[in-house]
Amino acid sequence: MKQDKNNEMDLLLRSLARGRGGESSLDVGQASTSGKGVSNHLDADELSCFAEGVLPAPARERYIAHLADCESCRGVVVNLMQASGVAVRPEPLEQKSGAGFWHKIGALFSPPVLRYAVPVVALTAVIAISFLAFRQQRGSDLVARNEPIISSAPAVTNEQQSGSALPQSSLETTTKLRSGAESPAQADSDRFKSASKDERTSVAQGSATIAGASVPTPSPLKDSMQSKQGYTVDGSRPVFAPEPQAAPAPPPKAALNEVDKAAAVQKEEVSRREVQALPREEEKNQPRDDAGRHGPARSNTTLSGSKRAEGLMTESRDSVSKSKKDSDDEVETRTVSGRRFRRQGSLWIDTAYDSSRGTITLSRGSEQFRALVADEPGIRTIAEKLDGVVIVVWKGRAYRIQ
Amino acid sequence: MNQRTIQIEKLLSVGASRLLARASETHSLTSETLIPRIRAVVSKYVLRDDENASFEAITDFIEKLQADDLCLIVACEQGNEKAWTDLVERFSTTVRSAARSASSNEEGAEDLTQSIWAELYGLRVREDGKPAGKLAYYSGRGSLAGWLRAVVAQLAVDQHRKQSRLVQTEEDSDFDRMIQEGQDENDWTGHGGVVNPELEVSAKLAGAEMQKALAMSVQQLSAEDRLLVKLYYFDGLRLREAGALLGVHEATASRRLTRIHADLRRQVENRLIEKGWSRPETERAFSEIALHLEADIEPLLAGEGVLISKENEIAG
Repeated sequence: MKQDKNNEMDLLLRSLARGRGGESSLDVGQASTSGKGVSNHLDADELSCFAEGVLPAPARERYIAHLADCESCRGVVVNLMQASGVAVRPEPLEQKSGAGFWHKIGALFSPPVLRYAVPVVALTAVIAISFLAFRQQRGSDLVARNEPIISSAPAVTNEQQSGSALPQSSLETTTKLRSGAESPAQADSDRFKSASKDERTSVAQGSATIAGASVPTPSPLKDSMQSKQGYTVDGSRPVFAPEPQAAPAPPPKAALNEVDKAAAVQKEEVSRREVQALPREEEKNQPRDDAGRHGPARSNTTLSGSKRAEGLMTESRDSVSKSKKDSDDEVETRTVSGRRFRRQGSLWIDTAYDSSRGTITLSRGSEQFRALVADEPGIRTIAEKLDGVVIVVWKGRAYRIQ
Repeated sequence: MNQRTIQIEKLLSVGASRLLARASETHSLTSETLIPRIRAVVSKYVLRDDENASFEAITDFIEKLQADDLCLIVACEQGNEKAWTDLVERFSTTVRSAARSASSNEEGAEDLTQSIWAELYGLRVREDGKPAGKLAYYSGRGSLAGWLRAVVAQLAVDQHRKQSRLVQTEEDSDFDRMIQEGQDENDWTGHGGVVNPELEVSAKLAGAEMQKALAMSVQQLSAEDRLLVKLYYFDGLRLREAGALLGVHEATASRRLTRIHADLRRQVENRLIEKGWSRPETERAFSEIALHLEADIEPLLAGEGVLISKENEIAG
């Protein structure tokens, strides 16, 4: 409505302007009545100063009053403005002044500038600090992740020579060991596969493995491995047991941040639980191993031990190279409810899961679990289709379902 | 001579010295030759409107004078031939360009250009024996090029006024008759469709009364608002240009124009009500007249559009 009224006035004024011939007479009449005749027109200097906008305010007001009523002077001003492009009025020329530098310095620290500059500087500082902190955090993650990869290749030869301790927390390895039906070479191959998988996929596990140098290694696993390799000659250490996890000294613990440590402890607990279950399995298999070790065939095995060890070494080297080639292809993944899971031992881990993230542990059938799946049916589907322990990331939270 | 006058004289002296120091070419001028000029300029633009202007304001005003241009003009005025040659060389293009803009043909432009240089130099002689030209009126506050354009424009207006004084008088009387008798050649309500002669006469009278009320209301606006209306509607400037002349941003000029529309409408309504109109009648009259005006303008705009498209076709 208001706009319509404005449009009406706009049209009326335009129509009035079309009778412009009369406006000049109106102007002259006004000028006459206000005591300004034609002789009182603005002079050329006043007109040009007005057009250039360089007049002091009081003088300017006086000339505005004249120009509002004098079409002749206004016409000159309009022409001057259009000729010189005053609409884009240039800044006043910089005058030579000795105090210019100090004026600029003073202007730099003036309150109007500081009012905006201080928050900007503070914000920039906060962003820079945040960025540096984030970079440091990422750097420590990379250290924890990369260390085993660097040490894995030399670990094979080192292990062959020194035959150091076995890894403590490879779930895949323990699974393979539990099966007990495979040949030693195959078991070694699997061990390398599992080691490479661990190195690639689990930061926490990697860090836990690194930390394992100072954490007591569960002896049942080591014993069982040694018992499986009962063909060694007179207690000499087996030379065909390359263990990538037995890397050189891990980075100092200080390099791991708190999140990594928490995740490492959690993973260590899981692996310890798994390993603790191992002796029971071993006990079941023990008679057969013992029979192989202490039975009549033992002497034959012992006699041909060195040859066999050489053959196993060759096989193990082959299997190492093969496992390195096929490790990427052999990672078992499944997709359920739109989430992709990677198998890691008996664990199904959501590919979106970050080991530094805390998890909410739920048992199948528990009240909490039922409440969760009632709200999130997708998790129920996942829990049903994937057996064993499942780590799923759902709506920004990580759940461990066991 | 009171203390303030003495202080102002000191400021003028210091200002003249600083102005000479700022000038790239002093043309052998001294501060003594510049002081009278600067005194006159300060008096005209500062002290005339504010007798008690602060010393800082006076100093600031002098500091912003165009040192090079003012020295050149004062040197010309002093009869410095080299300065005069410099002036002609530097600004002959500007003067010729301004003369072409103000004249309808090349011959007239050339005549005007010659007249300008004669006016500047001065055909008459002052009491002190120096030529009494227009150079004495340049203050140095604005640019010399702008001042020369203004001199050319004023001279062209004067010449035109002398030639068409008779015609001008007739136009004036036409406009006065339009205001007094309400007979507008634009015929606000004369658009076709009114069959009843009685209604037609009535509508014409209503339109004339509204136009008269509007013209009077425009005159009642403040000087700055009135200037904005005239620059925008009468002189055809864009809002950006009109705002620049008034020293305000385009957006400010737009807001001001919207407020002026509302003020004018209120004033016109009040004037019409004073003459016996009812408020609904004024509302209806505004709508109807605006409708007719819109219908009048549309064919014009359409005609311009056709012309433009034809020009484009020819050019393309």
